[in-house]
Amino acid sequence: MIVRVFTIAQNTVREAIRNKLLYTLLFFAIALIGTGVLISTLSYVESERILQDVGLAAIRLMSVGIAVFVGVGLIHGEVERRTIYTILSKPVSRVEFLVGKYFGLVFTTWLMLGVMAIAFAVVSLGYGAPLDGGHGVCFFLVGMELVVIVAAATLFSSFTTPMLASLFTVGVYLLGHLSRDLRLLGEQAKSESVKPVADFLFQLLPDLESFNVTIEAVHQLPIPAAEVGWATLYGLGYATVLLILASYLFSRRDFR
Amino acid sequence: MASDASEVVRVEEVVKDFRPGFGLRVKRVLHGISFQVRRGEIFGFVGPNGAGKTTTLKILMGLIQSTGGSASILGSDVRETDFRKHVGFLPENPYFYDFLTGREILRFYAKLSGVPAESREERVDTLLDWVGLSHAADARLRTYSKGMLQRTGIAQALVHDPDVIFLDEPMSGLDPIGRMEIRNLILRLRGEGKTVFMNTHILSDVEMLCDRVAVIVHGRIRYEGRIEEFVNDEGRMSELVVSGVAPEVAQRIEEQMGGELRGHGERIAIRLREKHVGEALQLVLGAGADVVSVTPERVTLEEIFLNAVEEGEKDSPGSGARPVRSLHDAAGAAAGISRTAEGGR
Repeated sequence: MIVRVFTIAQNTVREAIRNKLLYTLLFFAIALIGTGVLISTLSYVESERILQDVGLAAIRLMSVGIAVFVGVGLIHGEVERRTIYTILSKPVSRVEFLVGKYFGLVFTTWLMLGVMAIAFAVVSLGYGAPLDGGHGVCFFLVGMELVVIVAAATLFSSFTTPMLASLFTVGVYLLGHLSRDLRLLGEQAKSESVKPVADFLFQLLPDLESFNVTIEAVHQLPIPAAEVGWATLYGLGYATVLLILASYLFSRRDFR
Repeated sequence: MASDASEVVRVEEVVKDFRPGFGLRVKRVLHGISFQVRRGEIFGFVGPNGAGKTTTLKILMGLIQSTGGSASILGSDVRETDFRKHVGFLPENPYFYDFLTGREILRFYAKLSGVPAESREERVDTLLDWVGLSHAADARLRTYSKGMLQRTGIAQALVHDPDVIFLDEPMSGLDPIGRMEIRNLILRLRGEGKTVFMNTHILSDVEMLCDRVAVIVHGRIRYEGRIEEFVNDEGRMSELVVSGVAPEVAQRIEEQMGGELRGHGERIAIRLREKHVGEALQLVLGAGADVVSVTPERVTLEEIFLNAVEEGEKDSPGSGARPVRSLHDAAGAAAGISRTAEGGR
């Protein structure tokens, strides 16, 4: 089982890194990190922090962009081009196939995150901005956020078209960053019926702000280990639930 | 489910419904089909476009799930996956990851099929050689022609040395040389003791290659049986045209040999089984009559197929399923069509 999942994951990485779209997105990501230099020159104070704020925001945004644009087409493309026919006729279960695709995509996004992190470090060091462990933790948590986003993209891709899967995944990303505000809204709402609805949505949607320590990293504030540990467990747990759901839907699908 | 050791594929009362669109309407594409494929044979699954051939094959390959009935390969339910290491599959117009080379794609399928690492490279090289792709082994698949992709498809189906191979329209898109090569490959596989299940609508290939066939029309199996059942000499009919034969001789041929007499007067036509032709000729010539012609009736698979389709058109849609008939019956019906056509000329 492990060999089959690994083989599919390896092939997914190979497919992604031979895809020109990936390099276009990566180019834009590095260009955005570079624009931090220009934007920071507009301010006389805290220009290093502005540089890093812009750089980290670009990395977060482009990582999700890569996850969505490369991720949602992967499973749909297999069905559309009928490459899945020959794979599933081998001793490969649908769950193994789906999990292999997922791991391959997570690894691809991590690889791209690594390249962007190196670009960020080069720009920061070139500009004289400080770098420490906080930045490393920040990148790690962006990686954990990608674990969740890629799982959402895999789930939507397992039963719908790439266009809808992109919309749903971007929707989950946006709402996931607003879910804490949603709960706050429920608590402050005058209507009694709003609170349980807001609570339910908060429980259902991923709390993606758990993975956001940009401010702490840029301002060199301490990041509690417990917070990182909890976010890691939360990300892995949430992604597992999404993958179980995706596997269930994918297993019932007819490839006509 | 009772299963015979010689049975490689068993399909029993398989039903498949599709729901076109989002409505409640259900379209039944397979109406409780049943057939068996035996070890070591080349089995032709024949039918017109839209008859349900590919749907059946997809159920066998686990790509779609049947609504009812059961299907098994090598004694395992088709919904399982482990037995698939003994199964090879070539889909119709196969498409592969075009960013990989021929060698990389075979390596990929070999790994998925559990070919041990130590023998993998050797097996990949052997298969590339078998299908004549050694010269293009390191070229990306996006540069391959349709024929080369078909050969790649055959190679991936065989890379793990399966016992049973399913081919969906294996001659599709091939030139005459390519088709001949694939035909030879299929015969070679049978020679090695493999079982081959072939979906096709090219009847000449079926006649040339298959031991047994099943004809599917509108989601129902119309005929199932051995090719020899309708082309062997025992069952084949001939027409004997004689001149100046005495009435008592003609009557003897009719009564003793089951001959059917047509025409009156000087020249009569006698239709009888081919095994009785020699005897009838001796009798006619011995009585001093002249033999004008002896014409064997050749019932082709095409005629049987057309007959099946015609019957299927009459029965569908909405009518109940008709019982599966033997090819021998089908041959008789098809011969009837031939005679009518000849009579009309």
